[in-house]
Amino acid sequence: MKRTIPLLITGIGGFVLILAFFIPYTESWGEVAAVWFDVMAAIAFLLGGGNLMKVHLKKISDRAAGWAYSLIVLLAFLLTLWTGLFKTGSKPADNQEYYGESFASLSVADLPDSMLAEIEGSLPEKVDAELPPSVRRQLSVENGKLRFRGWMTDDHVSDLKSYHETLEWQCKVETLAAAAKPPEVLSGKVSYHSDHQVLSFHGYMSDAEHTALVALGKSAAWSQAVKILFDASRVETRIKSEEIPKGYQLPESVKNVQVSNGELVIQGPMSAALRDQVAAGQATVPFVRPMTKEQRAAFRREIESKGQPLTGEQAVALETTFNTVWTSVQLRLALVTAGQPSEVPKTACEMLIEQQAGVQDIKPKRIVGTAVGINDAQGAVLAKFSTDPSVSIDQAVEQLRAAGEFNDAQEKGLKKFLDRVPNQIDFDKSVATALNGAGPLAEEQKEFLLGDYRKRFLWRRDVGRLFVASHVPKYEWSGDYAEQGTGFWFAYEYAMKPLTATMFAMLAFYVASAAFRAFRAKNIEASLLLGTAFIILLGRTQAGVILTAWFPDAIGGLRIDSLTVYIMSVFNTAGNRAIMIGIALGIASTSLKVLLGMDRSYLGND
Amino acid sequence: MIDFLANLDRRWIFLLMLLSVAIPILTGVSFEEVPSKQAKDVFQEIENLKPGDKVLMAWDFGPETEGELGPMATAFCRQVCEKKAKLYFIAIVPLGPRMIDRTIENIIRADFPDLVYGEDYVNLGYKSGNEGVIKVIVTDLRGLYTTDARGTNIDQITMCKDVENLQQMDLIVSVSGSYPGTKEWVQYAVSPYPDKIKMVGGCTGVQAPLLYPYIPGQLKGLLGAIKGAAEYEKLVVDEYIGDSPHPKYLEGKRRMGPQLIAHLLMIGLIILGNVVFFCQRAREGQQA
Repeated sequence: MKRTIPLLITGIGGFVLILAFFIPYTESWGEVAAVWFDVMAAIAFLLGGGNLMKVHLKKISDRAAGWAYSLIVLLAFLLTLWTGLFKTGSKPADNQEYYGESFASLSVADLPDSMLAEIEGSLPEKVDAELPPSVRRQLSVENGKLRFRGWMTDDHVSDLKSYHETLEWQCKVETLAAAAKPPEVLSGKVSYHSDHQVLSFHGYMSDAEHTALVALGKSAAWSQAVKILFDASRVETRIKSEEIPKGYQLPESVKNVQVSNGELVIQGPMSAALRDQVAAGQATVPFVRPMTKEQRAAFRREIESKGQPLTGEQAVALETTFNTVWTSVQLRLALVTAGQPSEVPKTACEMLIEQQAGVQDIKPKRIVGTAVGINDAQGAVLAKFSTDPSVSIDQAVEQLRAAGEFNDAQEKGLKKFLDRVPNQIDFDKSVATALNGAGPLAEEQKEFLLGDYRKRFLWRRDVGRLFVASHVPKYEWSGDYAEQGTGFWFAYEYAMKPLTATMFAMLAFYVASAAFRAFRAKNIEASLLLGTAFIILLGRTQAGVILTAWFPDAIGGLRIDSLTVYIMSVFNTAGNRAIMIGIALGIASTSLKVLLGMDRSYLGND
Repeated sequence: MIDFLANLDRRWIFLLMLLSVAIPILTGVSFEEVPSKQAKDVFQEIENLKPGDKVLMAWDFGPETEGELGPMATAFCRQVCEKKAKLYFIAIVPLGPRMIDRTIENIIRADFPDLVYGEDYVNLGYKSGNEGVIKVIVTDLRGLYTTDARGTNIDQITMCKDVENLQQMDLIVSVSGSYPGTKEWVQYAVSPYPDKIKMVGGCTGVQAPLLYPYIPGQLKGLLGAIKGAAEYEKLVVDEYIGDSPHPKYLEGKRRMGPQLIAHLLMIGLIILGNVVFFCQRAREGQQA
């Protein structure tokens, strides 16, 4: 029995693979056999590991010759196994961490009935494919109704729409998505991740949101999940913070972050968006406007008053930096672009209505608005606004509306443009970089130009620290075992890589020594081999080309590089093909003996 | 003198070899390469790709052969990216994934930052099983690769959605240092489907003679060792980069300098060894 089973496995596996190669119908059998081979190979790895331990432990225990090497092998094996299996030093994977969210385990079955959305309809007919994995747990069809348990996300909608690309089905998906939404007060704050089986809450949970969430269900599992989320969303995190930068104010919409007594405090987790919002703060630092000649001269005088006068090169660098600031022409162009009508995608239901109305050429997008430009009077307002710091954005908008047609999209375009232009802190930093590159700056000058930037940098670093400190890892082991900084990475980078490269490189030294001692023209065969080696060695370098480049074309075939190609493609190929065919025949006959059980030597002697 | 040479301590030879490799590296000696037909065939096969074609990049080598194969892997990646093809990286040797990471980091992220992971390139990672892996994925990729190297479900990767098996690949580019490698890709992927799968390869100098018999049937072209890499590199640089390439695209050329001097040393040693041999034989003849 001990031998029969391996013999049967070998025989059946081998014949299945032969059949799969020659008979297309049995191709899938070969795939199954090959997958089983992989499974057995994995088990063989385990057995191999065990055997390695056994052999080397015995050697160490017996103090046999070379036991110290065995000890190194064992230690390296265990270290690699440990660092690989336990991912030492590996950080949780960013895409598994859901920053800014709190999780509470909850199965789909425990979701309350208030989270069950249903519409009349069924799955599309004649679709062989399975439902998309993202909705499989939550979508069902019962009594002629499509039911979705939970809240549909954009991904759910997109996956379901792709399931069957007809307008009827896609309209049903949109209708279902409209029904499967959280209450208004919780919109954008809660979600359910069916693949993780968790209820998620984004950020800080207010009392109103808590009440609304509690009201959704009455089961113990639901209440427990909501309690966990409520507690997690109110966990307070504090860190020491540096001085708040000049003109900084926390955004009014952010309620769960406070700055007090040199501390930065947050309730609940912080999302990346909230981090950026807090780091940026309310825009109280003025944006930079194009400067007039007088304003430029005044700015230069102010810099010089803090230290030494600017050199000629620094003066040029300063002028160049001034010229990088936006212009009223650029602003005007941006507003003209913003005033163009935009294309908005139609919903599937809108297109279905058009289809049912008999529209032949249905367009997937519709145009919203009409083109609004910028007239000369408005151009003059922009020109004044760009140089006059006393004109605020709201005043400019008012004046633009008074001077001609100016729509909401253009107002948004104006604010977006100004959001992107550098503010005074960024501009001062650019000036410092440019001047420092062109010549020396006094410490006081550097402080004048970079002081606010440094404070802002420290503030942003503190906000980043708060972001990390307030996060509770969801899946500690989700990171890559081989990423930079892990134990496995160190083992690879500082042991495996140099050791294997060294071993391979040492070949050159041994080959050189062997060539000197053993490569002798002892007889005709050895002389032929020697001559061939000369040609190939020269032909694989530029030396071969240089030595025989002067040969006339009539005997170009005798150039060393040509001879090299000839030897490799004719003699080498012919010889190797003969050997390969011989080996193949040998493999075929030996394999048949193994498959038929005639050769059992691979089973060992036991 | 002859007796001295006959009993020469091998450490002198080691020292000579060290100098012959170190001096060209330190002085940066290099020579212009003239691309051979093999290099041109490989280049042309990749040139024939159209934007959006699928290319399997089989990186089956590790740090031990990186010195020989790294430059050609770099040039392969550059040319395939220039052709705007989709790159599917895969490895069937355990250290291959590190080489894939290196290529992605040094070439794609550095020089093609607009390429998007999952849409333009994907790293399918390593699978154990040697040629068994090839045998399966040539007819059923999803049978083995249910996720990419990052653990993302293959169904969620845009560029993998319509890929069922390797027969849908427009080209396989195999860079291999040992077993399993180019030979196995030829035997288990190209040979059963010669009309559907095309392949070019790059290998170490030791492997090259064993792979020549597959040209031009199963292999459309082959780059042998650093010489092949330097020739192919020149074609890629001339076509796509121009006069001032980043040094990483000239690694093959740079490494040909030490190879030239080392080969000349080997020839010198062989000649010297034979001179000693014939002198000793002549002396033995006289004594007899």
